[in-house]
Amino acid sequence: MIEAARKAGIVIPHFCYHPALGSAGACRLCAMKFLEGPVKGIQMSCMIPAQDGMVVSTTDSEAVQMRSLVIEWVMLNHPHDCPVCDEGGECQLQDYTVAGGHAIRRYKGKKRTHNNQYLGENIRHEMNRCIHCYRCVRFYQDFAGGDDFGVMGRANLIYFGRKDSGVLESPFSGNLVDICPTGVFTDKPARFRARYWDYDMAPSVCPHCSLGCNTVPMARYRELLKTTARFNDKVNGWFICDKGRFGNDRVNSPERPRYPLIDGERVGWDEALEALVRRVGEVTRQYGTESIALVGSPRMSLEGNLLLGQLAACVKAGLLSYFIGAAEGEASMAASLLVGEKSRSMAEVREADCIALFNCDLLEEGPMMALAVRQAWRNGAKIFLVGVSSPELKKLPFEFSAVDLIDEVPFAGCKSPVIICGTASADISAVRKAAGAPAGVTFLFNAPNSFAAAMLAVESQSPAVSEALAGGKIKAVIAFEADIPADLPVGVELLAVADWMPTDVGRKAGIFLPVTSHLEMDGTFINNEGRAQRFKKVMNPGLPIKGLDPLLHPPRVHGKTPQGGDVRPSWQVIASLIERFGGERVAEPLDGKWAALRNLDPEGEGTRIS
Amino acid sequence: MSLFKDIKALLLGFWTTGKHIFLRPLTIEYPEQKRTPFPRYRARIVLTRDPDGGERCVACYLCSAVCPAGCISMQAAGQADGRRYAAWFRINFSRCIFCGFCAEACPTMAIQMTPDYEICNRKIMELVYEKEELLIDGCGKEPEYNFYRHSGIGIVNPRGGNVDEEPPVDVRRLVP
Ligand code: SF4
Ligand code: SF4
Ligand code: SF4
Ligand code: SF4
Ligand code: FES
Repeated sequence: MIEAARKAGIVIPHFCYHPALGSAGACRLCAMKFLEGPVKGIQMSCMIPAQDGMVVSTTDSEAVQMRSLVIEWVMLNHPHDCPVCDEGGECQLQDYTVAGGHAIRRYKGKKRTHNNQYLGENIRHEMNRCIHCYRCVRFYQDFAGGDDFGVMGRANLIYFGRKDSGVLESPFSGNLVDICPTGVFTDKPARFRARYWDYDMAPSVCPHCSLGCNTVPMARYRELLKTTARFNDKVNGWFICDKGRFGNDRVNSPERPRYPLIDGERVGWDEALEALVRRVGEVTRQYGTESIALVGSPRMSLEGNLLLGQLAACVKAGLLSYFIGAAEGEASMAASLLVGEKSRSMAEVREADCIALFNCDLLEEGPMMALAVRQAWRNGAKIFLVGVSSPELKKLPFEFSAVDLIDEVPFAGCKSPVIICGTASADISAVRKAAGAPAGVTFLFNAPNSFAAAMLAVESQSPAVSEALAGGKIKAVIAFEADIPADLPVGVELLAVADWMPTDVGRKAGIFLPVTSHLEMDGTFINNEGRAQRFKKVMNPGLPIKGLDPLLHPPRVHGKTPQGGDVRPSWQVIASLIERFGGERVAEPLDGKWAALRNLDPEGEGTRIS
Repeated sequence: MSLFKDIKALLLGFWTTGKHIFLRPLTIEYPEQKRTPFPRYRARIVLTRDPDGGERCVACYLCSAVCPAGCISMQAAGQADGRRYAAWFRINFSRCIFCGFCAEACPTMAIQMTPDYEICNRKIMELVYEKEELLIDGCGKEPEYNFYRHSGIGIVNPRGGNVDEEPPVDVRRLVP
């Protein structure tokens, strides 16, 4: 009933119902008056399947009174701590309490209290705030397959936690923060940092693996405070993994390079770009353009990697490359070539009836895929782990049978079989095998934009950097967000690096250009199944106020650009280089066959490119 | 006729003005002479302390959210014992319109309006008050309230030790 109403545009208040977890009938907030149809009177709308002929009132006075009494009853034991609660401002209980009109406490008895548990460095527990909706256990145990957290006690003693204090073991535990309708679980790194209305936020895409889960990063004062999940039915569904949720540090790192450098000296952008053009000219005069290598990266946005091809044409570079290691590049390229029609999304994995895990450590290479496999398993799918049964593999949240060879997996009798194949081991024969088997395939790569990088590498027939460097012909390396090894061969005379992360090779660079992270720009990533997704700028670049001197104090001077804020997206840097090398002005990085992606909706499902 | 009316209007005007020669003057010779406003007059804002001497403000961001002029900013932080406080707190009095919404929104009675209306300054930056300048050594208009004695999170009393709370539940207890 609750879903039917939602489709009709009517929001029924609820705590315990969740589209991914189903109904529990625990909170009693969704009470509606059923006027006509098979059931009559006040009923819980989450527990009654919608049928033809039902007439239901949300505004019937009896239903309204029931709901406001439920809220008052839920608030009997709720602590008086909204001002110091991090959920405040984004709390369902707060919203429905205000909506239900409950403002004055009539009950004069004492409030129940609980002791909290230590649940690790990421999640903070405050059990007093619990309203017993059971969402957390239903997620943790049923949906995510965790067994170290649950519900204990009975009646008024009921307690949601672990047997004893300790770090939550599930790699999806962070979703408790999102799923709890009150402030029992809150994001510990972001504790006491900001309120919902003060966050800079925008639809974004997780950069920590190739699955491209949809997120909403939340930042304030140029510091990324926390990341939450964003619903995308085709990709991650409602949730994200802990790696994506709590991996916020590198964007905030005080080590992040913020200024253009020439031989370690701080300079302006124009100076740095001119120096780059001049030095490339010098190398060209001496060794010819054949000696120039341009390096893109599977962690750079599609826009940057695309323009790099144009830049390579402008300088007639001898090498244009997107991958460092030959094997990694080949495996990714092969995978991107082979998928085509057979590529399966995470949504399709959730629906599959037979899944083979091949050549991958799922919880390492794409944690949310493991959650997708678990959903298929809960629906009765058979799971096969091919080859490895090593005890080092992290505990998978589903049961599987181990087989030795991919050919032993009985795909034949299945309607929608899927192979999940990793590329981290850079084993091309495995990639070919997976693509050749009679089943859909989902490859896992190691970076958010590996698929795009592989596609471009295939188009430009580019070899890996390591190979070319070993050849000795390369005298100049210009790398964009690429993780090239810091010990370059002696013959290399010019090293220019553009990156937002502090890397060893960046510190060695003759010319260094600081660029924005994906949170400080608009851009596109193509995920492991070939789905292009747009991410929007979340925050302005620049040193976070927190890191400035005097400690914790914002400056009392004013300016248009914050300290360290003069960094540019890689694609813009490449575009201005194209101009300086005599190419045409780039107004729009997505051009030609990519123009279709220009209007990609950042809040939509993304577009599969084939 | 209109001439008669005009003369009457003129004389009435003179009469009204002339009357005031014999009335007590209302003008106050500020700044030599100062008026005492009512206690609820809304002027310079202060941050108060609770009766135990602790800073009342928990940096909940409600005042900054409600402020129509957007002149309050702060950063919340936590002490080792879990007490939440403002690491810095700033009011830009050159923008404040003294509407009093902040004081009304404050759940801890920390931010209060005082009748001190003399805060003009030619240097705008001196109208930006920091926490040190805002914090006073008293409870202001609310001598009793200490938020943490009601909040249930165990800062001034152990958890479950406030007057309106039961001691923490023992989950493994068998008695109902
Ligand atoms: S801890 Fe949160 S999610 Fe779990 S039952 Fe309590 S209120 Fe619901
Ligand atoms: S599975 Fe990958 S993309 Fe998704 S949240 Fe985790 S790290 Fe990010
Ligand atoms: S009195 Fe009004 S304008 Fe001034 S700080 Fe308070 S809310 Fe803002
Ligand atoms: S509303 Fe009160 S407690 Fe909250 S930040 Fe403002 S002064 Fe502090
Ligand atoms: S949503 Fe129906 S009882 Fe909780």
